[in-house]
Amino acid sequence: MSTTLVPRWRLKPVAIGGAHMARPTAWALVGLLVAVTLVALFARQLAPYNPIQPVGALNLPPLSAGHLLGTDGIGRDLLSRTLIGIQVSWLSALVVVASGLLIGGTIGLVAGATGGWVDSLLLMRITDLFLALPGALVAIAIVAALGPGLFNTLIGVALVWWPYYARIVRGETKALAARPHVEAAKLAKVGRVRILTRHLLPGVVPTAVITASLDIGNVVLLLAALSFLGLGQQSPAPELGADTARALSQLLSQWWVPGIPGLAVLLLTLIANLGGDAIRSLIPVRR
Amino acid sequence: MTEPVAEVRDFSLSLVRNGVRSPVLRHVDLDIRPGEILGLVGESGSGKSVLALSLLGLLPPESHPVTEGRVTVSGVDLLAAKIDELRRVRREVLGAIFQDPMTSLNPTMRIGRQIGEATHDDAESVRLLETVGVRDAELRLRVYPHELSGGLRQRVMAAIAVAGRGERSDGKEARPGLIVADEPTTALDVTVQAQLLDLLRELRDDFGCSVLLITHDLGVADQIADRLAVLHHGELVEIGKAADVVRNPQHEYTRSLLASRLTLTMPRDERFASTSQAGEGDPEPAVSIRELRRSFGVRWGRGSKQDIVAVDGVDLEIAAGEALAIVGESGSGKSTLLRIVAGLDRPTSGSVTLAGDGGPQMVFQDAGSSLTPWLSIGETLGERLRPLKLSRSDVRDRVTEALAAVDLPPEIAKARPGELSGGQRQRVGLARATMIPPSVLLCDEPTSALDASLAKNMLTLIRDLRARIGMTVLFVTHDLAVARLMGDRIAVMQNGRIVELGPSEQVVSAPREDYTRALLAAVPEIVEGAAS
Repeated sequence: MSTTLVPRWRLKPVAIGGAHMARPTAWALVGLLVAVTLVALFARQLAPYNPIQPVGALNLPPLSAGHLLGTDGIGRDLLSRTLIGIQVSWLSALVVVASGLLIGGTIGLVAGATGGWVDSLLLMRITDLFLALPGALVAIAIVAALGPGLFNTLIGVALVWWPYYARIVRGETKALAARPHVEAAKLAKVGRVRILTRHLLPGVVPTAVITASLDIGNVVLLLAALSFLGLGQQSPAPELGADTARALSQLLSQWWVPGIPGLAVLLLTLIANLGGDAIRSLIPVRR
Repeated sequence: MTEPVAEVRDFSLSLVRNGVRSPVLRHVDLDIRPGEILGLVGESGSGKSVLALSLLGLLPPESHPVTEGRVTVSGVDLLAAKIDELRRVRREVLGAIFQDPMTSLNPTMRIGRQIGEATHDDAESVRLLETVGVRDAELRLRVYPHELSGGLRQRVMAAIAVAGRGERSDGKEARPGLIVADEPTTALDVTVQAQLLDLLRELRDDFGCSVLLITHDLGVADQIADRLAVLHHGELVEIGKAADVVRNPQHEYTRSLLASRLTLTMPRDERFASTSQAGEGDPEPAVSIRELRRSFGVRWGRGSKQDIVAVDGVDLEIAAGEALAIVGESGSGKSTLLRIVAGLDRPTSGSVTLAGDGGPQMVFQDAGSSLTPWLSIGETLGERLRPLKLSRSDVRDRVTEALAAVDLPPEIAKARPGELSGGQRQRVGLARATMIPPSVLLCDEPTSALDASLAKNMLTLIRDLRARIGMTVLFVTHDLAVARLMGDRIAVMQNGRIVELGPSEQVVSAPREDYTRALLAAVPEIVEGAAS
């Protein structure tokens, strides 16, 4: 089964074939990911008002003068609250995914490359243990134990998030480690660490990055859900999930007060998922 | 009856590869007459497989083929035909056997059902399997492709290819008019290859179908083909009676193809034989293998475990500076033996002792996958020098030197493996193995994936390097001609044991064992003066 098709590993996209999305569309979606990240980073500068202080009349509808998205039940500017909320959700999601990738990736890489009892008895059984627990519930339990708050929520979610990456990276590493190029490196007396970092790691990165990018949306959703339950960012600081929850009673009278942060979560998740798809279609993966 | 089965008229074709449109075939004219075996030879990239796909109406749409001219099979132009028409021609006229029998059979379907798709009748399937020489045909219907050996799988493909075409549109019971066989024997051992070639000939004699046999091996083509066509860079450079083309080639390219063939009779370069006597004062063998055994535990179905013995008690000594070639068919344990000597696998019992320092180095069969795809060649080669702790410029000099030793320009150091050709990659593999002289150089079929001319260059290179640095070489191959050329001695392996060991000339010209004789007999040779 030795097809001598040599993959192009660099991020340079292949011109024709393989991609499910038209290339410009894919790049546009990746651009959207970058745009959201920029908005999140500069939310403080972009927000027209202080998001915590009442600044206008109560319950102004969207497109009111001076308040593009209206105001909430105590007169806070919804645009400012949503922008800061996006910042909190998006950056938290990135932090969780990055830390999951780091922890899970390291464990997976070591397990896959070492093999033997380290892999099958130690690392992967620990991973299985975490996978067997219902993630969201464990996260809630951890946050409840540590006490509510943004930082604790991040710790809680990151702790349940890494096993997925560990599994994926380990599988990919095992497949790579069986290839002759790793054996050749061993024969060339290349050290263990160097084999891991130079001969295995670069081959795993595409798959890991794709998985992670598809995951951002899930994390945004999970964080919003935890805040909705009152476990994340504490009031009065803006948080999309918490804002939606607090104003839920207004849904029928002033739909925009809970609706706009809710829509923001929807939008973030959508952009994250489409962007992840786009990244997948742009990175050629060895098959 | 002179109406040809298939006609290719002024056929030009271009395909898009990696985003670039390039011409693949240029103005090819070809007839396949009823009941003839037409051999199509050419090196890889000559367009022979694409021509086969065109004749099957299976050009890949994702490479956006642009065609000119006509490809007519039994009166239907496959390039212009509608999908229904195409399907009818494929069903009634065409049969195909591809190179890799594992990927061309559906791994999730039992053999019986796969043949049944063509025959719709188990009794007929059994009869067909018996025709193509499958024993216990009735039992075989119930197995999956992975349970069969490579040779058996190719026979199953052949059975499907010749299956009756049922009622033809004109009411007659039909057999396929044309079987397209694309390198059907490349993945098989020589003895199995000989059987399959016989089978193709029998099928032609029994069913009167024509065969288009695509191969890179002129010896194979000469053995079985009536006529021979030579394809070079998409152009048909020569076509004629097989015996004439092989013994009296008109075109220069055909001549060079013939010249690059490795044969059992070509002169060996004797200056290398002398190197083994050079170290006369050195009684210590470079490699000594004692009582080596390696078995794998394999689980069959539910529970029952069975040991498969890959290497079964091998004793071998290789003197310093000697070259030993190990020959055997697939599954004979030769690769396992090599991997144990390399230290990539552990023996179940027995020992391997290597003398000298430098450690073993290996040249792999598939050069592409033995180079790390994301590292540049310079980085890969530089890794061998890391223990020496050289300065940057010294490393660069040594890399350039190593590349020069295998006839590669220094710019290669910046390239990645994906940008190199197969031949270049294999040279890089050789450079990596020899840039610091190894205690023993292990070669695992380094030329089996290369075209004949490239293979010859590669072998010459290995021999030159060996002479220059006085290496000990252990060379594993399935090809006796290569073994004779590369080894001072040849060891023939069968079922994990060494059945014959002797000076290479003696093993080839006066074999002691039946198995060696069978291997020799199965090598497709072009016999001089046998033109009829």
